[in-house]
Amino acid sequence: MRHLLARWSFWCLLLLVLTALFGGRLFDAPPEREVAAAFSKPLWIERDLPPTKEFRLSADTPSLRFDWRYAPPSRLSLRIDPSVGQTGRFVEWRKPGAPEPLHLAPLRGGFEADGRDIAFKRSLGLPPFGDAAASLFSERGSYELALSGEGGFEGEVVLKLEGGRWGLLGTDQRGRDVAALFVAGVRVSLIVGIFATLLATFLGTSFGLAAGYLGGWIDGLLMRIVDLLLSIPLLPVLMALAALWGKGLWQLVLILSVFSWMGTARTVRALVLTLRDAPYIEGLRGLGAPPGYILRKHLLPETLPVLLATMTLGVPGAILSEAGLSFLGLSDPRVISWGRMLHEAHSFGAFTAGAWWMLLPPGLGIALLCLVFLDLGKFLEERVDPRLRKGVRS
Amino acid sequence: MNYWGRRISGALLVLALVLVLNFLLFRLMPGDPVASIVDPRFSPEAKEQLRKMYGLDRPLPVQFALYVKSTLTFDFGISFLTGLPVAQELRSRVPNTVILLGTSLLLSAALGTWLGMKAALRRGSLLERCVLWSGALSFSFPSFFVQLLLLMFFASMIPLFPLRGTLSVPPPAGGPALLFDYLRHMALPVFSLVLLGFGGWAIYVRNLTVKILGEDFILLARARGLPRKNILRGHVFRTMLPPLLTIFLLSLPSVVSGAVITETVFSLHGVGRFLLEAVTGHDYPAAGAAFFLLSLLTVTCNLLSDLLYGITDPRVRLERGNR
Repeated sequence: MRHLLARWSFWCLLLLVLTALFGGRLFDAPPEREVAAAFSKPLWIERDLPPTKEFRLSADTPSLRFDWRYAPPSRLSLRIDPSVGQTGRFVEWRKPGAPEPLHLAPLRGGFEADGRDIAFKRSLGLPPFGDAAASLFSERGSYELALSGEGGFEGEVVLKLEGGRWGLLGTDQRGRDVAALFVAGVRVSLIVGIFATLLATFLGTSFGLAAGYLGGWIDGLLMRIVDLLLSIPLLPVLMALAALWGKGLWQLVLILSVFSWMGTARTVRALVLTLRDAPYIEGLRGLGAPPGYILRKHLLPETLPVLLATMTLGVPGAILSEAGLSFLGLSDPRVISWGRMLHEAHSFGAFTAGAWWMLLPPGLGIALLCLVFLDLGKFLEERVDPRLRKGVRS
Repeated sequence: MNYWGRRISGALLVLALVLVLNFLLFRLMPGDPVASIVDPRFSPEAKEQLRKMYGLDRPLPVQFALYVKSTLTFDFGISFLTGLPVAQELRSRVPNTVILLGTSLLLSAALGTWLGMKAALRRGSLLERCVLWSGALSFSFPSFFVQLLLLMFFASMIPLFPLRGTLSVPPPAGGPALLFDYLRHMALPVFSLVLLGFGGWAIYVRNLTVKILGEDFILLARARGLPRKNILRGHVFRTMLPPLLTIFLLSLPSVVSGAVITETVFSLHGVGRFLLEAVTGHDYPAAGAAFFLLSLLTVTCNLLSDLLYGITDPRVRLERGNR
């Protein structure tokens, strides 16, 4: 146990599992919600680009002062809550250094304006071309958004700015938060990787035990099937099955496991073959133990440690297969996965937009997850077979 | 039966099973195949005629016999989507796939073997560490991710190579210009496959070499005072050949699978992307044909390396029965 805790991969896996379980809570909106303009850049690069932002005036904050240090936002919209019902007051806009505030709009419930509305621009005395945001945010400095007149008010005034930056990892081609998508994608990779391998291990162990212990024609048949499955290209078969069976997550798990038990079956069979004629097994047979009993109580426990290692080493294969199928567009489009994200990056113009932030997180995520399982598998292998440890040369 | 007969009959058996699997897979696809190409306003007679044309009105065993006959003569029928013969479409695509896979496989095998042997000779060196890491990375990085990155850096950000396709549109006139254009389009896909492939080879070769170097006959060769080069070439490499062929054989299916992904990423005019388009478009004759060709490619290479194994390691030829 102490050795396990010293492994980086253990902590990394723990972190990823926690992310899969609770990561969604880090974000206010569900990952499929559109939050900002398409292909917005991450917040921490190109600090001159305006972020996507909302300013709200309410009873508690009747006026807002803020520092604007960016280029003008690409779009702007103003919305006043329907519950607001006062007349004779205005929403005011004070540019840095300007003596008089500009009346943006009357404080009337249900007022809505877009930066591209001609009427809105004309009411502000702006040229009819382009977005009002360009002239309203023409300078850098301290701005003020406030209400004219005295007294409190009910409801809300929302000024929404659409900039070119959003969040930790920007947005994708539909304006969804890449960071939220990334966190949501952990789950799919973990579920498919772990469950497909569990199922494959179960199948492989059963077939391997049967082939190794029973021998004869069963052994011949099973090993022929293994040879066959190992000598046909797997991905085309998976593609056909995914298109045929539907694209749900659990179908995928099933399909992947049905086509990845061969290695385990071979390992288990080889192990059972060496154990089958061991004196203590022969003794059990002599005492009249039925084959089922011997398999369950003696042979299976012998293979378990090895199984644990091969199982862990098999997870990357399943994860990569799932990612490959999703990348080819053969997964359920409603299920967010890392492979799907790369598929969308490839087919919806992430290249022309130069949107590397759509590419790197899912790809590195898959690689990290695979490395974690490879390292854990190596660790387990070394536990099972101490000859593999560092410093011990065979 | 001798060794050769056994190997060939084994390959034929696999091929037969591929045929069965292929038939079952693409007959089981959901939806009436005819429904996808026929306008619902067609008269029942017209529909019936179409069914007859595709042989869908016969009982399944007859369909299977017809299917086997037509597949083995490379007559794959008519595509549901384009209405053109599938064989014609595939003929232009097979060379691209074979060139892509063949070149990258040879290059990565050569590079991997060379680096692997070097790493084994210099245990604990920086080179050995690099080899071990490159192997681990090639097992854990999704191929399409690496390829997308290459595409982004060397085609999009620094436009050294084209973003997509096997040839420019329209293709340049003249032989050398055409060849150059083709090479420029294939460079990045081949490079990516070599980059992804050599690590696995290198690790395998390194482990093999380390093992062989510890054998008694190497010690004897050294004791006889043979030059290092001779030992490496005549003893180490020669001993390594049969297992190398085995790993070549085992890697084939995944290499062919990789063709689908590589061709999709780089939008190459090959069999793999054809398969993807056919599968997503429910074009059964086309999908079946592409799957069959990819399997045939695997089985043929499989048989070839099996036969080579028999030549390089004479012991297996003397064995009786199954291995």
